[in-house]
Amino acid sequence: MSEDPENVEKMEGDSAKPDRMFTLKKWNAVAMWSWDVECDTCAICRVQVMDACLRCQAESKRDFYGKQDCVVVWGECNHSFHYCCMSLWVKQNNRCPLCQQEWSIQRMGK
Amino acid sequence: MSTPARRRLMRDFKRLQEDPPTGVSGAPTDNNIMIWNAVIFGPHDTPFEDGTFKLTIEFTEEYPNKPPTVRFVSHMFHPNVYADGGICLDILQNRWSPTYDVSAILTSIQSLLSDPNPNSPANSMAAQLYKENRREYEKRVKACVEQSFID
Repeated sequence: MSEDPENVEKMEGDSAKPDRMFTLKKWNAVAMWSWDVECDTCAICRVQVMDACLRCQAESKRDFYGKQDCVVVWGECNHSFHYCCMSLWVKQNNRCPLCQQEWSIQRMGK
Repeated sequence: MSTPARRRLMRDFKRLQEDPPTGVSGAPTDNNIMIWNAVIFGPHDTPFEDGTFKLTIEFTEEYPNKPPTVRFVSHMFHPNVYADGGICLDILQNRWSPTYDVSAILTSIQSLLSDPNPNSPANSMAAQLYKENRREYEKRVKACVEQSFID
């Protein structure tokens, strides 16, 4: 154990001065991303929650700025759906269609 | 005219083709996407084995918020199938969820063939035989498997 620090120092000293093992010529950074939601497809209409739901697509509803105005809603159970899809379903049965828990909204938005 | 229900059914059909569940198949009729024809093959190791049971599925514009009407066209002898082919299955009635699609419906019906629920009978004779005389039940089911090849 007591010899180790000595050895390391010696090796560093040896290898640093003569020709280097390699040099870094190019560095490509790759980033991965994903939506911060548990389920990225709305299980009711089967369209990605970040896109407009099937109903809004069919009616091509647009807001003042010409963007499709179809928001995502997250329940306390963390399941997410299009607000449009979910508001039609809860009229009939106020439960999450995926886990059957009582539906209460945690947050809304994009 | 493309309504949300019709668009959703197109997605169901696409999913059924891309990721077909074993032992079931279905497709919309030629001129109406709201009416589908389907086939369920009798599950292995059940008296329904080798049967090819035909069904019709009728959707309304309220799909997927309301379940479709599913009916066997082939003659069935099963505790939870009515004489007219109607099916008594909770997920097609009060336990319906708008997250189900055609693929989920057909696989649920397929598993109903393997696991009948004799406590909520639609065919009381089938339910009684299933509980009390399994040999006779299987004989009657085999007869409708034979029948399914013809009709």
